[in-house]
Amino acid sequence: MNPLIFTGIPIGLAFGFALQRGRFCMNSAFRDIIVLKEYDLLKAVGLAILIQMVGFAALAMAGVITISPNTFFWGANILGGFVFGIGMVVAGGCASGVTYRFGEGMVGAMSAVLGLILVGLMTTTGAIHPLVVSLRGATTVTLADGANLTLANVFGIPHYMLAFGIAGIALIVWAIRSKRGEKSPKQEEEVSLGTKIFKNGWGWKATAIVIAIIGIIAFVASTAAGRSYGLAICGGYWSTVQSLLLGQNLISWLSVMLLSTILGSFIGAKIAGEAKLRAPAPKVLIQCFFGGCLMGFGAAVGGGCNITHILTGVPQLALSSILNGAFIIFGCWALAYFWFVRPMRNL
Amino acid sequence: MAEEIKADKTLDVRGEICPNPDVKTMTTLEKMEKGQILEVLLDYPLSVERIPKNAENRKHRVIKVVKVEGPDHRIFIEAKANK
Repeated sequence: MNPLIFTGIPIGLAFGFALQRGRFCMNSAFRDIIVLKEYDLLKAVGLAILIQMVGFAALAMAGVITISPNTFFWGANILGGFVFGIGMVVAGGCASGVTYRFGEGMVGAMSAVLGLILVGLMTTTGAIHPLVVSLRGATTVTLADGANLTLANVFGIPHYMLAFGIAGIALIVWAIRSKRGEKSPKQEEEVSLGTKIFKNGWGWKATAIVIAIIGIIAFVASTAAGRSYGLAICGGYWSTVQSLLLGQNLISWLSVMLLSTILGSFIGAKIAGEAKLRAPAPKVLIQCFFGGCLMGFGAAVGGGCNITHILTGVPQLALSSILNGAFIIFGCWALAYFWFVRPMRNL
Repeated sequence: MAEEIKADKTLDVRGEICPNPDVKTMTTLEKMEKGQILEVLLDYPLSVERIPKNAENRKHRVIKVVKVEGPDHRIFIEAKANK
């Protein structure tokens, strides 16, 4: 066992703490644009992606990490992303959402995690696996030299140039927009820094910056431990369960990081006084489990959950992650429209 | 609490998953008469932060957010106060 896998402990603790304090859930981020016209979490996701885009490109230039896009298998990316997106609406949280709420003591989230593990493992190793392999095989596209596709290598642009370019343009657009929408500063309550960090929920900017920094450090630490990728979640659940219950020795940087993430969320919730074991009605628990099953299937088919693809893959400009991420959003919107938007409109 | 606010209706969404606390609060407020007071019991931190903001955006008036214990909160909202 590589001792460097234990760098996953401090990173996971920090990640879980930040997820809980920032309520970082992409299901809420995407769904609530259409359900509640609420944009803060979406801004947090967008900013975290941009900061990591710059960080990854800089570290890759310095030779510290290698940009490692996932394989582009469009059929599996589309199917997996769409099913995952539907699943997170059913479960009431994405992979990071249910993980931090697991730490907070929300039993619905634990039920979703159970489904995610069960069907995820069935799909990665069990009965459905051959179907997934053939779907991936039939729709895989790579460069002539076998390299996985990114926006940069498809167009033959140097990676760093495109990454810095996109981030630069986004920064300019943001600066112009925020100048236009400038309002008189709101009177905010004076609170101590300690209260801001440990007691109150974080604003979207703080959340994005902290999660992006953790994501960049995670890529470096994980690379040192022999895994060339950044933050992820589902694979961590699967390898942990395979190691602990099925006796396979798959304890990895990712499983150590993930277990620490749950603990980090618990610590964050405990300090804020938000930790408490609480369960919804049995019917909702079953719904969460079923949503988790869909997420497990989607992540196993598409090669990752929203963290692997949207938080870590999109900043690497991976085409697989951009496509998969887009279909996670479509899946989320499709079900959210029928479940929430239409009924609320008929009031 | 110094003074007890008398609610016309109480909505208990403790334990419910995202985004049901938000959606149920908003739909209940829409169905209430102007000036009636809704009390929401909830324990989901994200909703504790967002319901007051969204209720104000929808022309209701948030009277008070009371922290009960742990994640448990009570929010009092006057329906359609600013409509």
